[in-house]
Amino acid sequence: MARTITRIVVPIVLVTAIALLIQGHNLPGGGFIAAVLTATAFALIYVIYGLDYIETELRHRTVVDRSLPIDESTAITQEFGQLVAAGLAIALLAGLAPVIAGFIPLANGVLPDLAGAPLFTQAVALVGVPIYGHVEVASALGFDIGVYVTVVGALLTILSVVGAQ
Amino acid sequence: MESAITLAVALPIVAAALAPLAHRVLGNRTAYASAVVAATSFALLVVAGPAGRVTAAQWIDGPLLAVGLTWYADGLAMLIGLLASGIGVLVFVYSAGYMAHEPGQRKFYPTMLAFMASMIGVAYAGDLIVLFVFWELTSLTSFLLIGHYDDRPASLIAARKALLVTVAGGLFLLAGFVVLWAVADTTLIAGPGGLLADPGALAARLRDAGLFVPAIALLGVGAAAKSAQVPLHFWLPDAMEAPTPVSAFLHSATMVKAGVYLIGRFRPLFVGEPTGEWTLLIAGFALVSMTITAALAVAAEDIKALLAYSTASHLGMIIAGFGLASTVGAETGAFHILNHALFKAALFLVAGILAHEAGSRLLGDLGGLARELPIAAGVASVAALGMAGVPPFNGFYSKELLFEATYHLASHEGGLWWLFPALAVLASVCTVLYSAKFLTAFTGSRPDSAAAIGSPPWSMRAPAMALAGGVLVVSIGGLAPLVGAHLAPVEAGVASVVGSVGGHAGFGYHVPTHLTPPVAMSAIALAGGAAGLPVLDRIVGAIDRAQSTAAIAPSWWYRRALDAVETGDPLAAIESGRLRPAAASVLAATAGLTLVGYATAGLELPAIAGLPLLGAGVGSWAMSIVLVVAVGSALAVTRAPSHVAGVLTLSILGFMIAIVYILGDAPDLALTQLVVETLVLVLFLLVIDKLPAFYGEIDRMRAVGDAALATVVGATVTLTVLVTTAADPRLDAKIAQFFVARGPLPEGAHGVVTDVAGGHNLVNVILVDFRAFDTMGEISVVAMAALSVLTLIGMRSGGEQP
Repeated sequence: MARTITRIVVPIVLVTAIALLIQGHNLPGGGFIAAVLTATAFALIYVIYGLDYIETELRHRTVVDRSLPIDESTAITQEFGQLVAAGLAIALLAGLAPVIAGFIPLANGVLPDLAGAPLFTQAVALVGVPIYGHVEVASALGFDIGVYVTVVGALLTILSVVGAQ
Repeated sequence: MESAITLAVALPIVAAALAPLAHRVLGNRTAYASAVVAATSFALLVVAGPAGRVTAAQWIDGPLLAVGLTWYADGLAMLIGLLASGIGVLVFVYSAGYMAHEPGQRKFYPTMLAFMASMIGVAYAGDLIVLFVFWELTSLTSFLLIGHYDDRPASLIAARKALLVTVAGGLFLLAGFVVLWAVADTTLIAGPGGLLADPGALAARLRDAGLFVPAIALLGVGAAAKSAQVPLHFWLPDAMEAPTPVSAFLHSATMVKAGVYLIGRFRPLFVGEPTGEWTLLIAGFALVSMTITAALAVAAEDIKALLAYSTASHLGMIIAGFGLASTVGAETGAFHILNHALFKAALFLVAGILAHEAGSRLLGDLGGLARELPIAAGVASVAALGMAGVPPFNGFYSKELLFEATYHLASHEGGLWWLFPALAVLASVCTVLYSAKFLTAFTGSRPDSAAAIGSPPWSMRAPAMALAGGVLVVSIGGLAPLVGAHLAPVEAGVASVVGSVGGHAGFGYHVPTHLTPPVAMSAIALAGGAAGLPVLDRIVGAIDRAQSTAAIAPSWWYRRALDAVETGDPLAAIESGRLRPAAASVLAATAGLTLVGYATAGLELPAIAGLPLLGAGVGSWAMSIVLVVAVGSALAVTRAPSHVAGVLTLSILGFMIAIVYILGDAPDLALTQLVVETLVLVLFLLVIDKLPAFYGEIDRMRAVGDAALATVVGATVTLTVLVTTAADPRLDAKIAQFFVARGPLPEGAHGVVTDVAGGHNLVNVILVDFRAFDTMGEISVVAMAALSVLTLIGMRSGGEQP
């Protein structure tokens, strides 16, 4: 019974989380909220289906019995840790982009305002889309995605380690 | 070129990021690629020259605060920077041979390159903040390099020890910087408007504020921790667990010189009378440290430990030189930085050759290797003679200058100041002894147990020979004046360093031609050393006995302190491992500190205009109902019979707070609160089966104590919220207007827009655009929290104590 509900709810939660992430710039939402919601969805899976479900179904691995004392953290925990590092890298790159662009002569012609600007300057591009009209694309989304990935990785790391106890 | 220095620092960092990839392609030859990077940095620094102050990038440029990436290039900076990159080239070439069959090459080269960049950053830092950041980066990279062999517990313990000591020193350093900043109102070190622009005036202001001696003490502790002076010297011998290229690079020629650099850089500010506080504190402690560590070096049996103690001793000599007020003192320090780097790095490389080929680092196992390792023996002899201070080798000249400076001080002031030259001579006697001891690896006869000796590759021989060549060049420069020539580049370079540290320009050195008291002191030192050689074993025994008295060894105190924290002997009541006492102590301490802080700052409660809870309008009625329910649920938590009920009731409180946010027109906050509350609830379900189902009986007294603590914490938080959200209408309006004006896109915008944020959700816009740097810090903290949870729980399942 609980499994059926979870099977229905989790995809909805995940879609809501992504929606919150993308709409964060103009409507309530944003990277952190989306990340915590995603972690909640995964926590739900852990509670209902058990810790090994994600590893066996998504990564197709045989799982080490968690009751055995192990020196290394399990593979899934390490992958969550890599998520954290990736998220920090994305956020940092998003912030460094204008600084790096300032060093590349070509970029000066393409994005005159952005190249050479101080750290963490963001821009908004208005892209023309047929029928729909103009779509605002904010470069802050890149940084927000970095925040999202970092917090998801951190929370899932904590989840997978604490849950194993 | 303005950006040459920035490039010299940035290039090794970029190379460090690319090194793991390069390693996949190049394998062992990554070492030569790194050497090329180091050589490029060296060339860039030479091109940049003594450019004075250069601001590469301004970060904060306001009326109250100005911080940026500022470099300051002068003689002292160039000396340390060129040493870092130059010896870096040699060490990288050496690593090609040494690390060829060692594990962990993929992390070795990036870390070494990152270290080199940090060291150049320290040397060229023109701003206190830049200096501190690079200082801590050197500590961090040193920690990674010492713990290179991460399968050996001894390496990990040594790395931790080094990190704790140098970072603790770094905190003292930061405190010293804050003192300087508070009095001088600027963070720029040198150049116009900097701390050193008018040293006399700044020194007077420090004295008026009563902060002159504290500043010296704080900076001194920071430098002593980094340069391994007594009593913070005990991490350096343990750091010899690192691979030998690391020891040669970090712990002889560069990183430990950071402390010396600090003393030299701030010398013009603090040096005053010949018998002032600076000389007493800095030179006094340094000379004592020099003697003690020299004695410890005599007693060492491991060649790397011997060299480590001797490094600490020579660093004490440099610091003592800078501690003396005369120009001769400045010359001592400046010249010995160069000399020591040359011969010590050479000796470490030879030690590495011995370890690599003969398979042992203990002097008992080595002997008579001169026949089989002739080149190594030659290099070692030249370097050791320089270390011992035998004329005409290079160490002799700097030692002679020290004797001259201390003798002049003593003969002018008399009395107890005669201790200074006495200590200097005593330390020099020990220096001769341990230099000779090092050479016994090559002299004498082979022990029977020794294994077969291989021949080292040229990649290991060439750097050692190059360094010995440097020693010889400087040594010959001292003989040259006898025939009327001068080694101009060396003398001019040292002269500019002397100028940077506040001495008078003009430097020349030569072999002394007639007998003066300092020359007599040198002669006594050499004679004493020579006389001690036959009875070396007895001397070693005496030093060993003195050392084994546990209470003297700082290492013993370090171990005791660490044990006390870990097993909680004196802290048993607090750190017993149970949650309640730990949480209670942390909460009580935090609340207490906050309240004390408020009281000290003379905080005034903002005027409360009244609580609009029961006024007219639906909004305030709804708010009051919600708050009443929240308070009710909080009380219900205390009465909850089981964990499940308690947590669910607590969640009601959380959701009520979310509704308060909604009523207060803060949708983002409400969303965050709702989502976090849900996550915590689901998380709790994960661990529910590990907890007992029902609470036990509550002890009355404990409940009263807990209630009191809770009240104090609640009062502190309420006070904090009231104070921090006190509305200042003028200021708030301006900030709010700034954000509102730049938030949404204006009408008719097209293309790419950068000066407007382009979003309607101002909270999110502030987070990711206006204040993105703060958010970067916040997610780093989240990442660190995850890392700590991982480590703590991982250690618990592994059976360790954190």
